[in-house]
Amino acid sequence: MSNSPAPKPRKMFFREAIASAVRAAMLEDPTVLVMGQDVGSFGGSYREFDGLYREFGADRVRDMPVAENATIGIGAGAAAAGFRPLVCITYMDFLMLGFDPLINYAAKLRYKTAGALTAPLVVKTTAGAQGQGVAHSQCLDAWLMSVPGIVVAAPSNPQDAFSLMAQALRHDGPVVYIDHKRLFPSPGEVSVDAGLQPFGVAAVRRRGEDVTIISHSYMVQVALKAAARLAEAGISCEVIDLRTLAPLDVDTIEASLRRTGRLVTLEEGQTTCGVGAEVMAQVFSRMGPRPFVRIGALPAPVSSNPVYEALCIPDPERICDAVTALLKNAPPA
Amino acid sequence: MIYHLTVPKAVPGVEEIRILEWHGEPGARFEPGDMIVELETHKAIVEVRADQPGFLRMVMGQPGDWISIDDTLAVFSDAADEAVPADAKDYSELTVAFEVT
Repeated sequence: MSNSPAPKPRKMFFREAIASAVRAAMLEDPTVLVMGQDVGSFGGSYREFDGLYREFGADRVRDMPVAENATIGIGAGAAAAGFRPLVCITYMDFLMLGFDPLINYAAKLRYKTAGALTAPLVVKTTAGAQGQGVAHSQCLDAWLMSVPGIVVAAPSNPQDAFSLMAQALRHDGPVVYIDHKRLFPSPGEVSVDAGLQPFGVAAVRRRGEDVTIISHSYMVQVALKAAARLAEAGISCEVIDLRTLAPLDVDTIEASLRRTGRLVTLEEGQTTCGVGAEVMAQVFSRMGPRPFVRIGALPAPVSSNPVYEALCIPDPERICDAVTALLKNAPPA
Repeated sequence: MIYHLTVPKAVPGVEEIRILEWHGEPGARFEPGDMIVELETHKAIVEVRADQPGFLRMVMGQPGDWISIDDTLAVFSDAADEAVPADAKDYSELTVAFEVT
């Protein structure tokens, strides 16, 4: 870190937090590249790369065709050859097309070469339901948690969007960086001098005594809304933002759960083999089971019909009902 | 009569916008169709145009400033020298047209 006085936090859009982190990494390290659909003169599907093409040119900010498998494959190869590519896959649903180069090549390169080669590749992708139907709305975060060698980062606010991206671009990878469509409209204060955000460190977003709610990405914002409502009913919720799903900060979850004694996991993806299932398995194996409920999307595709979309995805009302039922079934001693 | 221009609910999910550019200084006269201000959301520019004639009297923020939806952006009057009461309760809503680009 420099010795100059820290600049004040500045309010910015979520997309600007991403662009700031990418720009700083590109200025610092000439091997950092950006590749993806519309990342060039268009500035990214969410304008999250605005200005980078103009500043760094087409050699370092490369528009790619609608070919996710090839794009991630080229990214993995470039990473193995000494570059630090940031590959942007517009929707997380399309990440499936690139699983082979991501999982079979990038994630295993260090293992296969006994550490001689690494793949410092960042794959940034956008998850979540917002009016785009069955194949553009999914949160497949949990699928990636089980792949040895992959870091899975999922910011819930502009500060972490900046700090986790800054960390990802300096990591020896691969990192999958998952943002969310519904995080883009809200600005937030960002300290660009806050330094890197180490992976595997969760954040307690709200202190509480009665129940621990574990979440990540946009669902943290939904959890905080539910916690505010529950507080009016006299129920005190602690809200923990995982920030990274792999590595998972089990210490912070355990410390909270030892105080509250009740666990709620909240995710926008499916609960079967979901993030919550893994959180519970890891924390309960340390401290024994506690009363719990896991909340996620209903076991159905996210509909193009906005009414069904809203029904499928957890909202504050569903969380409040689940927490209230949990406290009823497992009342304070 | 005194009017206030409030931040329009132009884009779903957006609760705060950033002022990009004013198209006139306090004192300027606006006719229906004239661009008053451009606002910036996370992905779009909102062009706010006058839908009634009037004089711009005060602006509540400069380019780069953030303002919440429904908050007052500017104050207008029918006549150039009309006294502007301090209490915003006495203001009427300025009719505007806006376009998201």
